[in-house]
Order: sequence, then structure tokens, then C-alpha cells
Amino acid sequence: MKKILAFIFAITLGVMIILSLSNNELFTDFGDTNHYDGISSGYITSEVGGDEEPALVPVNIVTGILVDYRGFDTLGEVTVLFVSSIGVALLLGVASPKRINLNFKPNFMLSVGSRALFGVMFLTGIYIVLHAKTSPGGSFPGGAMIASSILILYLSNDTFRTDVSKFKLGKSLAASGFVLVGLIGLLFTGEFLANFHPFIMDTILVLIAIDVAGGIVGIIDNFLTEERV
Amino acid sequence: MLLYASVLLIVIGLYGLLTNRNVIKIILSLNVLEIGLNIFIITVGFLDLEEAIAPIITLQQRASVIVVDPLPQALVLTAIVIGVGTTAIGLSLAKKMYDKYHTFNLDEMGEE
Amino acid sequence: MSIVLLIAVPLFFAFLGIILKKAAPYFLLLVSFFNVLALGFISQGAIVIGGYSSFYGIQLVLNSYSLIGLYVVNTLFFVIVAINCFKHKKLSPILLISLAGLNGLLLTNDLFNLFVFMEIAGISAYLITTTTKDPKSTFNYLVLGTIGSSFYLLGLIILYAMFGVLNIRILGNIIEGVVTNKAAVALPFLFIFIGLGVETKLLPFNSWVKGILGKSNALTGPLVGAVYASAFAFVFGNLLRYLFVFSESLLLIVSILLVATILIGEAMAYASTKVREILLFSSIAQAGVAVLVFALGYYTWGTILIALNGFSKLILYLVVNIAVDQVKSDELSALKGLFVNNKLIGAGFSVATLSILGLPIFAGFIVKMNILVAMANTPKFFFVGVILLASLIEGIYFIKLLINFWFEQDQAPRVKYSYVVIYVTLVIALLITVFGVYLEPLNSIHSTLNLVKGVVMHG
Repeated sequence: MKKILAFIFAITLGVMIILSLSNNELFTDFGDTNHYDGISSGYITSEVGGDEEPALVPVNIVTGILVDYRGFDTLGEVTVLFVSSIGVALLLGVASPKRINLNFKPNFMLSVGSRALFGVMFLTGIYIVLHAKTSPGGSFPGGAMIASSILILYLSNDTFRTDVSKFKLGKSLAASGFVLVGLIGLLFTGEFLANFHPFIMDTILVLIAIDVAGGIVGIIDNFLTEERV
Repeated sequence: MLLYASVLLIVIGLYGLLTNRNVIKIILSLNVLEIGLNIFIITVGFLDLEEAIAPIITLQQRASVIVVDPLPQALVLTAIVIGVGTTAIGLSLAKKMYDKYHTFNLDEMGEE
Repeated sequence: MSIVLLIAVPLFFAFLGIILKKAAPYFLLLVSFFNVLALGFISQGAIVIGGYSSFYGIQLVLNSYSLIGLYVVNTLFFVIVAINCFKHKKLSPILLISLAGLNGLLLTNDLFNLFVFMEIAGISAYLITTTTKDPKSTFNYLVLGTIGSSFYLLGLIILYAMFGVLNIRILGNIIEGVVTNKAAVALPFLFIFIGLGVETKLLPFNSWVKGILGKSNALTGPLVGAVYASAFAFVFGNLLRYLFVFSESLLLIVSILLVATILIGEAMAYASTKVREILLFSSIAQAGVAVLVFALGYYTWGTILIALNGFSKLILYLVVNIAVDQVKSDELSALKGLFVNNKLIGAGFSVATLSILGLPIFAGFIVKMNILVAMANTPKFFFVGVILLASLIEGIYFIKLLINFWFEQDQAPRVKYSYVVIYVTLVIALLITVFGVYLEPLNSIHSTLNLVKGVVMHG
């Protein structure tokens, strides 16, 4: 009975969304947008009311939006990742951690193969971070890739633990560095997170990558460790 | 079409949330809902034109070409990372609950 | 002084607090105190992050409304932190981040940025509520909060697809000017309403409240019940004021939800025998009243109502939670005669309850009176009746609560309140009485706020 009610409710909501959007004169159909009338036009042509030199505008418009035009959102996003990683540590952290006992033991192929893979993934991550101005997604995928290369090590070796405190330090310094970059902008130009020098955007991208990598590695480590008995 | 698919995912996620009592399944349903939402955001910026390209292009050429809407792509990136954060907290709460009640089923957890 | 510092400084010290663990509680105290002080020096107006034009960048706006909101949130936050910070040292960075998130909520004028701050404030709230050692309730809160913010995000994306703008005030003006068929924008507004309704404790999205506030401690009770509630009510007010355009059917749905929230909340509070549950159900009802006042368009008195309720709630949750912590039971019968040995606390508590109730000589009376008069003038007698009925039920159970607490009994529970708590309670109670007797300050706040209404900000 409960399932039927839930089913009816969910279907009704879906039908309501589709009906009211498809018969809506304001909501454009799929494949048709009017973004050249809205704020996106400014991001595309880089005419956004600031006095920005062409040299400061990255090739990838999405990255430009992420770290420059709407950099404050990205600061918030970094904060969310940061607070959830310290939250996981708060919930699962123990005084003397050791690796959790998993049911499966990694075999020879897995442990050798993953070590080879680790180097490739780690370097690709760094490559993506350094090319964040052109590649899609800014430096988030790069940071996530660095973190997953560490995850591979965790999975392939059931006694492995990385030096989490270094990642924690990096995460903390990177996140506060992000705020500091914003405050420097406030100090020199009077605007928080002002993009007045090409160096600013590069710094922010690298800091985001460090923060993402540090945050995710911290979360992974907390999930894969337990109290030593 | 993709719009319908995203709404379908949202509906499936919502149905899962309403019917499941297993903590892990609830978190999965939440993620299905979020993925549907993210696809919805992306579809909003899609431009179905032959000449519309991805928003990676130098400033000099921007006046002469049409690009798809870059803003939803930036927003979805933020939404994904926020989703990761909530999922991580949810999973660690699930682990906490399992340590306390030795079950993942919300109904089997006593009121103490 | 730039208003962004109210967000940036707490964030910076939260991030540093992870490395400098020993210093983190002091950071928390100093920064929250700095924020209260800084409010006196910041200049009103709008700034855009990164220095772009307000159409493109993320705009933060400080006007008299958000200033009142900031004062309420930051002062309450500082008081709660001053009472609790050394009991929960590990939480210090998370509390700082939640302060930044709440300030961001009140300041931002960008729909998507508001979503980000909702999540920051939300996630830190989930983590703060884990101090009650009840992961099940926290999980429930997390799931509902995430569903709520997902709906909010869905609504804002639909609005973006329609108008291509994210700035709240500009978007509001566009909708006001362009849209002729108001039903066309009803769906996104419904989703945004649901999304905010979860955090504002509106029916039927409030099933998390019972687990969180029903098992609260001296930190989570006042923080979630007073600070978060006021902050989200202010945000709701902001959106209702600058963005929402109600079509008739949407207004009907919203009014039904709100009236149901008010009446069911009061009825549940009346039926409950646990002190914390009485408080939480009555705050559900009061959240409904506040949003209703905003939805009907009485922004100025709504703002003052939320501010007053925020301070009164602080006293209620603080006093009750400290008592429950020490007595280890929140049944009304176990707490009988609580104030026999704590006459000062009792006096403050009684003033706060009577003010929420809206009895004369307390500030709550003036606010409620003005709201009712404004409603009767419009005329909206149905809502006047609802609020009066709610006040009547409220009156019965609050008076019952007070009589129980003051009632002489042989084994009155011995509860020790620290001097800080007594001092804070008395100061707030004194202010409530003073504002209730001298009408001048409240009326001048009201007229300043009305002045703002004339000068609508165009980015």
C-alpha cells in the first residue's frame, strides 16, 4: 500500500514537472536556449563590467566562470568539501587508527599492476591540474584523479596507509590560501577575489586541486581505518 | 528527450527515498535523485545547432562562433562536489548507525 | 569595511583551525565576537565579488533588513558559543564554517550562491547535531535537508532556464515586469518554497525536527532552534519580498500549508508532555506564522517578529536544555518546580514565553498587535482568526508550562545555571520588557525599514 502511494506520488510529480514545463511559453524546449540574452553572454564575450585584460581570460569559459566570475561559489564549494571531510574525520576518526580488515586479499597481479597504474594516474592528475585553464572542469577532476590514485594504493595493499596528516595540512593550507587570495584582492583592488593578475587564477586552480585531493584522501582514509584493539 | 530522462531519474530517486528503509539504499536513492538533477541542469544549457560548440575557445574567436551555455556546466560542477560532500557525511553516519544498532534497516533500530 | 569580511574571516580561521587545533576554540570565540563588533562598522550597500557589474557577478547586499538579521544571528551565535565552546572543542572549525554559512545566507543576492550557502550551513548543522549521539535523527535530517536543497536547486535552474539571470532582485524585477501569466512561474516557485520549507520547519517537510530538537543539548537546541530558525526565516522573507510572484493557485497551496503548519504545530505542542517537544512544536507553529506574515506582504513587522522570536527562543531552549542535561529527563513532571530554586532564570524564562505569547507590556505584544491590525485593515480576517486561535492554544500550554515550573514542590529539581546564562537571560528579558513598554525604538525601526522599501535596489 505504502509503495503504491509512493509510486503514485512520484509519478504525479514527474508528470507535473514535464507537463508544466512543456506547455510553458517561458521555458525553452530541449536543444534551444536563450543564453545569449542572459548572464552567460557576458561570460562568453568576457564583457562583464570589470576592466579585465584579454590575457586574464582563460580559453575554457567554464573554468573562467568557476574561478573568476563566480569564484565565490567555488570558495563555497571548497568549503563544503572541507567541512564534510573534517566531518567524516569527526564521526569516524579514532585515537589510534589501523587498516580495516577486508574480506578479500589483493593478489599479485593487482598489487603490481596498481603500482604501475598509480604513477600514470598521479601524473595525469597533475597534468590536468596544470592545464586546468583549457581542459573541462577546471582543476577539480585533477584533484579527484590524484585522490583516486591514492585510493588505488589503498585497495591494492591491505596494510597501506598514506601519511594523512600531510594531506590534512595541504587541505587546510590550500583552503585558507584560497581565502587569502581573495583577501589580497580586497586589499589591492578593493574587491574580494578580484582577478587583477594572471597569477591569481593559476594559484586558485592549484589550491582547489590540493584541497580536493586532500579532502577526498582524508575521507577515504577515515572509511578504511578502525580503532586498534 | 534527455529532459524526460532526467525527470525520470528524479522520480526514481524520489520513489526510492519514499519506499526504502535501508540506510545504504536511501543514500543511493539520494544520489540517483541528484544525478537526475545534474542531468537536468546540463540539458538546460544544451544548444541543438550544427555550429554550436563546446565553450572552450580563445577570446578573439568568440564573437564569430556560437557556443553552448557554459554557466549550467559550471553550476553542475559545484552541485556534484556538494553532492559528494553530503554523500560522504551520509555514509559515515550509516557506519555510525551500524556500529550502534548492528543493522542498516531504519525500522529495526530501536528508540533506545 | 567590506561586508564580505563577515564571511571570509570565519572561513579563514576555520581552515586554519585544523592545523592549529589548540587555538581553534579561541579562534571561534574571537571571530564570533569580532563579527558582532564588525557589524557596527560596516557600511550598508551592495558589493559584487570580483568587481564585476551586478548583473554578471555574485552580489552581496546589506540593507536595514539584512542588518537586523545579521545582528540577531551573530549576537545569538556569540552567546551560544560563549556558553558552549569549551565543551565541544572538536567542533570549533565546523561552528566557524556554520557562522560563515549563515552570514552568507543573509547577505547573498544570488540564487545559486544562496544554494551553496544553504549547503554549507546545512552540512555544518548535520555535523553539529551529531553531538547529541543520535545518528539516526541526524541521518533523517541529512536526507530531508538534501532533498530540500535538491528541490531548491531544481526550482532555481528552471528559473535560470526561463530568464537567464541569477541575481535575485534583478530576476524579481524581470518577473514582475515581463511575466503576464503568473501561473507559468508557479512550478519553480513551488520547488523553491518546498526547498526552503524543509529548513524552516514547515509542514509536511519537518519530520526531522522531532529527532533533532526533541533530543537536543545545550548547543544544538539553541543553535538549530533559535539561530538557524531565524536565519532561514530571514532568507525566506528576503525571497518572498524580492523574488516571489504568487499566482492564485500557488498562493492557495502556500496558505493551506502555512495554516496547517500553524494549527497542527500548536495542537501537537498542546498534546505533548515533554518539555523539549512542547518547545519544538511551538517553534514549528511560530515559523509558520513568520512565513505567513511574509507571504502576505507585511515585511517590516515580520522581520521584527523573527528577531524578537530569535532572542526569546534562545532563552527557552537554553534554560530547558541545561535543565534537561542535569535532570536527565525532559518529562514535564520531572521538571516540576524548576524555578523554585532559580528565581532569576525563572523570571527571564517567563518574560520570554509571555512575549512570544504576545501579552501586553512585552515586546511580542506590540509586534503581534501591529501584524493583526495590518491584516484586519487589508482585510484578511481568516488569517487574523488563525493567528488568534493559535495564540489561544499557545497561551494554554505555555501558561501550563509556567505554572508547572513555578509550582512549589517538595523535591524540586536542583539545576545549576552558570552566571553567563543567568546574565544573558536577564539582559534579554529586560530588553524585551523595555521594548514592550517604550514603543519608540520599535516604531523607529519600523519606519527605518519602511524607508528602505521606498528605495528599491536596482543592483
